[in-house]
Amino acid sequence: MTDALVLSRLTKSFGGKAAVSDLDLTVRSGELYALLGPNGAGKTTTLRMVAGLLAPTSGSISVFGVDALRDPAAAKAIIAWAPDEPMLYDRLNPMEYLEFVAGLWGVDGKTARVKAEELLKWLGLWEQRSQRCEGFSRGMKQKTALAGALIHDPRLLMLDEPLTGLDAAMARQVKDVLQERVRQGGTVILTTHILEVAERMADRIGIIQGGRLLAEGSLEELRAQGGAGDASLEDLFLQLTEPAPLQAGIG
Amino acid sequence: MFKAGSIPWLALHELRMMSREMQRDKARVFQWVMLAIFMVFLLGCGVGLGLLIRETGLPSINPLIVTIVDLSVLVMFSIMASSTLARAAQVLYQRDDLDLLFSSPIPARKILAVRFTGIAFSVTVFWLFIAFGLTVPIAVLGEPRVLAALPVLLSLGLLSSAAGLLLTTLLFRLLGPRRTRVLAQVLSALIGAAVFLAFQLPNIMRGVDSNYSRMSWLRPYITGEDHIDLPPYADLPARAALGEPIPLLIVVGFCLAVFLLVTQGLGRRFARDASVAVGSDASRRKAGKTGAFAAGAFSATLRKEMRLLFRDIALFSQVLLRVFYMLPLAFLFVRNASTGSSLLLPGGAAALALMAGQLASSFTWITVSAEDSPELLVASPTAMSVITRAKLWAGLIPTIALVALPILAVGFWSPWIAFVAAVGAIASGWASGMLNIWYQKPSRRADFRRRGNVHWLLVIPILLIGGLIAGATFLAAAGMPWAVVPAVLAAVGMLALRRSDEQILERLRSLD
Repeated sequence: MTDALVLSRLTKSFGGKAAVSDLDLTVRSGELYALLGPNGAGKTTTLRMVAGLLAPTSGSISVFGVDALRDPAAAKAIIAWAPDEPMLYDRLNPMEYLEFVAGLWGVDGKTARVKAEELLKWLGLWEQRSQRCEGFSRGMKQKTALAGALIHDPRLLMLDEPLTGLDAAMARQVKDVLQERVRQGGTVILTTHILEVAERMADRIGIIQGGRLLAEGSLEELRAQGGAGDASLEDLFLQLTEPAPLQAGIG
Repeated sequence: MFKAGSIPWLALHELRMMSREMQRDKARVFQWVMLAIFMVFLLGCGVGLGLLIRETGLPSINPLIVTIVDLSVLVMFSIMASSTLARAAQVLYQRDDLDLLFSSPIPARKILAVRFTGIAFSVTVFWLFIAFGLTVPIAVLGEPRVLAALPVLLSLGLLSSAAGLLLTTLLFRLLGPRRTRVLAQVLSALIGAAVFLAFQLPNIMRGVDSNYSRMSWLRPYITGEDHIDLPPYADLPARAALGEPIPLLIVVGFCLAVFLLVTQGLGRRFARDASVAVGSDASRRKAGKTGAFAAGAFSATLRKEMRLLFRDIALFSQVLLRVFYMLPLAFLFVRNASTGSSLLLPGGAAALALMAGQLASSFTWITVSAEDSPELLVASPTAMSVITRAKLWAGLIPTIALVALPILAVGFWSPWIAFVAAVGAIASGWASGMLNIWYQKPSRRADFRRRGNVHWLLVIPILLIGGLIAGATFLAAAGMPWAVVPAVLAAVGMLALRRSDEQILERLRSLD
């Protein structure tokens, strides 16, 4: 089966400083992949390049076999991108928002109408379908944006910190949605600072720092790589990403 | 420097935030340059007046002077009060750092007193600027008494701000938070426009009656044929502005007392209103049956832009103000067409073309640059050209609707002029719309009101291209083949400024 995402020697520099450096990464079709890393590690930059929001300095991006740099429209058509700050319009209501997003992704009007109704009911937003998003809580905004990301039934769903600012019930609901998505055969990539979420949900985990992939694999594979039998993901993450301790005797 | 939490300390904080805001916005550079030029002009006028007054002396207080001063005060009061209305609504709804300040142990009354004073100052500063430019040269040239106009103006600012704040609170109580916001924005725009229209009345009257003169209503009073009956104390503002100590003290004392009474009295209520205003934006519409979805990216984008445009009353009313300013012009245009006095018709057609360009520019500036989710557009597989075309049409549709009426009316009497005006208006609207698309700079809608009308770098090309198209319209309407020259120049200008979809996309990416 074709891999969902293949990044090869992907590099992005800002003013000569590399945010992502020679990154090789493969996400298999139908898996939930968690991309972890400390702040400024290059997670969001990587996903933004895949989404077509940033042009890479060098390297290649393949989404289900489509070269995203040569044929960005074809790649975008099968991707959905949901950043940590929901991409919404305050003065539109969820139905109007979904109508717009469906139009952008070329979903037929009738199909989109039915899908929007399904999604809003599924996400518990049906009662609020005629209320403008400006009065929504952060969780409701996240769910509306998630509905927008799912309206065109993407093969690859990418979410940047999808659980930030959500209460426990909302977070559970979003996690259920993502797992259901994977069960239905979709591929999900998410970044998160909540390591327990990655530990419990992800099929495979990639840890990056300084724009480079430090380690990748399932939790067991990461434990084996780190030589730590029953270490938690948090221990492994800190072991891999913490700066080297100061040399004894300094100061 | 000041005790933390004291009024001067809070005032310093306000000043710092205002100055940071000015530094943040590059558009201010252009505005500062224009202001400097305006100040030089005012100082020039002031010197002229000063020299004249040195020869003739200050005019004595007579009923005519009193009437003119009182009318000026009334006009300034209306404009200042309407500005306060809009700004007070802004304080209530946009809040900025109000939540942080209210959550501190500083009394709400103190916080609001400083913010209200800031509002009063901001609505007065323009008039103070003009008065400063005119009175300082007169004072230097020998009549320092006229400097009393400055404290009188400041006092007027305090009084009108108090009226504006009272009106906001009253509206809030009567109509509730959502309607108050809309009404405050519309009222403030309407009052400004009404004052402009009142000033244009003589021009309109002259259009109706060729014997009418702008000053004709004054003639009987100047010649002494008639006299003005003034109510008691009507001369106070004029006497205060000319530096008579007792009237000056009365005016300043009265205005200051009213301002203090209102701000202290309203403080607690305003703080309560501010807390109610939070979240009042949420539309609580009853969930009804939702209609069919638009098919395709163009229709979906057009529909979304039209919805957002008509739902943003503040931005929309700002643009609609230009329509109010068009009314005298449209009136004269239609009237000249109906009476067959064709001399002014080409000028009217050209002016309509220019105005259509300005309107379309404002609308497309909103549809293109007040974009809350530029990343959503870039991340979608839809070609940028489809999105920009939809945004351009969203800007052109209301423009066409607004200029269509005078053009159709003229078409009844002079079809050729109407046709030329329509072509000119569409060309001018399209050109300014495209310029806004090529040089777009998306920003969140919430930040947009601060950014003014059109990007300052775009003002000159839009005016130049609009001017050329208006010139072509004028010449074509007058039946001159030379119309081709400005039309070709405008086309060349557009070709030189043109940006490809890829360049627009690159620009959007570079704004990250």
